Amino acid sequence: MKCFEREQLFAYGHRLLAAREEEQVRAHVAECAACRAVVKEYGKLDTLLDGWRPAEPSPWFDARVRAAIAAESAKPYRFRSPFSLGWVRWLAPALGVVLVLTAALAVWRSRRSPERLVTPTVASLPASRAPQNGVAPAPGPAPVPVPTPQMARPQPVETPRPVTAAAKAGEDELGLYENLTVLEDYDLLANFDVLSELSRGEKKVGN
Amino acid sequence: METDLELMLRVTRGDEGSFEELLRRHGAPLTNYLRRMLRESALAEDLAQEVFLRVYQARERYRPDARFTTWLYRIATNLALNAIRDRKGEVPQAEGESAEDGSGAARLVDSRPNVEQQLMQSDRERLIRQAIEELPERQRAAVILHKYQDVDYQQIAKVLGVSESAVKSLLFRAYESLRTRLEPLLVGGQL
Repeated sequence: MKCFEREQLFAYGHRLLAAREEEQVRAHVAECAACRAVVKEYGKLDTLLDGWRPAEPSPWFDARVRAAIAAESAKPYRFRSPFSLGWVRWLAPALGVVLVLTAALAVWRSRRSPERLVTPTVASLPASRAPQNGVAPAPGPAPVPVPTPQMARPQPVETPRPVTAAAKAGEDELGLYENLTVLEDYDLLANFDVLSELSRGEKKVGN
Repeated sequence: METDLELMLRVTRGDEGSFEELLRRHGAPLTNYLRRMLRESALAEDLAQEVFLRVYQARERYRPDARFTTWLYRIATNLALNAIRDRKGEVPQAEGESAEDGSGAARLVDSRPNVEQQLMQSDRERLIRQAIEELPERQRAAVILHKYQDVDYQQIAKVLGVSESAVKSLLFRAYESLRTRLEPLLVGGQL
């Protein structure tokens, strides 16, 4: 016969057990003198603790509380404007975070855009990206390159590199997209998966 | 008889009489709880008043998703624990713990049985009070709520913001400490 832990016997004595567990402990305690003694000991302690008698509050306690409540009621009505609501406290920090993020995004884009904003013309395209095999650029007004500091700097001379057929086809397609009038905003287009993949393909080829 | 919940809902609609009824029902038990937590009657009454004031101030935001007493004791426990932390390091003089209280000299002076019984009772009471006061704050709150305020352990868990199993563990550890500290009274058969 396995005895229960003191903690379980204590919980049993104080009715802290679930019904099923309580039944198990009860059955054991009925047969085990040692466990019964532990439960009895907790009962004795409980009776001893009854000796700390409650005290009555002072006779003026209720009157003091009433006076405090009356003072509270007598306070002039405070208009609760929508700006005093709890959520307003969080609005300012939230707006601050949004502003910081917006500014950071703007800075990031402005640093990134000079390269991207330059809509490559046929002339400015590197040899590997110029229309090949007589494929003419799409009709429409020729995009005007925006002068940027990067353009003023001498461009490094690209060394010819081996181009696979698949990569070459991809680069042709990229050149075509970049020269379409309706798709002049290359920066925007860069978000499209196709272009991103093409760009990656190009980099891979370069490497 | 209306339940606490019904009374509190009426208070939220501006019924001052219902608040009076809640004060009548819970004023004394709440003050006793705080007195047992803090040792000092004056401070206990100040905090009990503060608890009722906070209940009144928050009446419009009251949501009947828990028992009224859970809410009441939760406010009271938070105030009591804050007060205990604020006063750490100080040694407050508990009521009734005067030089004569429980001292052997007082008992020698007057040996009439009724006085002796009274002194034994107050001596025992002092020992019990000291044993409970020496418990860590949360154990003390759990024991007082469970033993003296008749608050069940599920409610104690909500008051203290802990799990029910944590309350059972707190109570067990507290009773084990009390059993050790009060062993002379338990063995001496002074019950």
